[in-house]
Amino acid sequence: MSEALFRNEPVPSTPYVADGVSISLAAPLKRYSLRARTAEALETVLNVKVPQKIGATEGGIACLGPDEWLLRTAAETAMPTGAGLPVAITDIGERSICLIVEGPRAAELLMTGCPLDLDNFAVGRATRTIYETVEIIIIREGEDRFHVEVWRSFAAWLWTAFTAAASH
Amino acid sequence: MILIHCPYCDEKRPEIEFANAGQAHIARPLDPSGQSDAEWEAYLFIRANPRGRHHERWRHIHGCGRFFNAVRDTVTDKFETTYKAGEPRR
Repeated sequence: MSEALFRNEPVPSTPYVADGVSISLAAPLKRYSLRARTAEALETVLNVKVPQKIGATEGGIACLGPDEWLLRTAAETAMPTGAGLPVAITDIGERSICLIVEGPRAAELLMTGCPLDLDNFAVGRATRTIYETVEIIIIREGEDRFHVEVWRSFAAWLWTAFTAAASH
Repeated sequence: MILIHCPYCDEKRPEIEFANAGQAHIARPLDPSGQSDAEWEAYLFIRANPRGRHHERWRHIHGCGRFFNAVRDTVTDKFETTYKAGEPRR
């Protein structure tokens, strides 16, 4: 049987559509936490370009901190383990889910609980931040499109908060 | 809301993303077993509580995750400067 039959998501699978904004659950993604002292060390292991600046994204890799990156990929790509090298590559695929917030009011919706100035948040930028009391990772995929990564256990609450804010 | 400059992200970020982590520049004694009880107590528990300029550790926990040092005025709550961990006291 398909693995999809066993998936139990904490939020509804049907998108919530309100005036100027919609909230939907993204398809399951593979996620890896990448830790290394330098971006070069990761580039050697992964053989792809790794962004240097905190907040930058490149090829599905977001730089979250001076020694921390998040790789999100839809494809079933084999990941090197980095065994024996000064890097840590950890599968965190099931730790979080991704909510897609779309529409002209997308930034406004996120700013109901997130203290960042998302009007001046460049497309392609990613950061860890907070929504009310819930830690999230915001990735601006487009002018009117954000990906919000949230831990599964917080997702039901965040969905309720988003949909309540969107209905106002 | 106070904006705090994170020396790693190199931008001002909202206070709610940060956590205070107590007084800065407290070095663990290199030889713990050679310490007297009073010296060890001072290292573990005795902290400054100045009125005015205070060196503190802060962590950008809901951001880049890094600890850094800050100079904050305990009267006005204004941050004078922030700098990376490991840099000399300012």
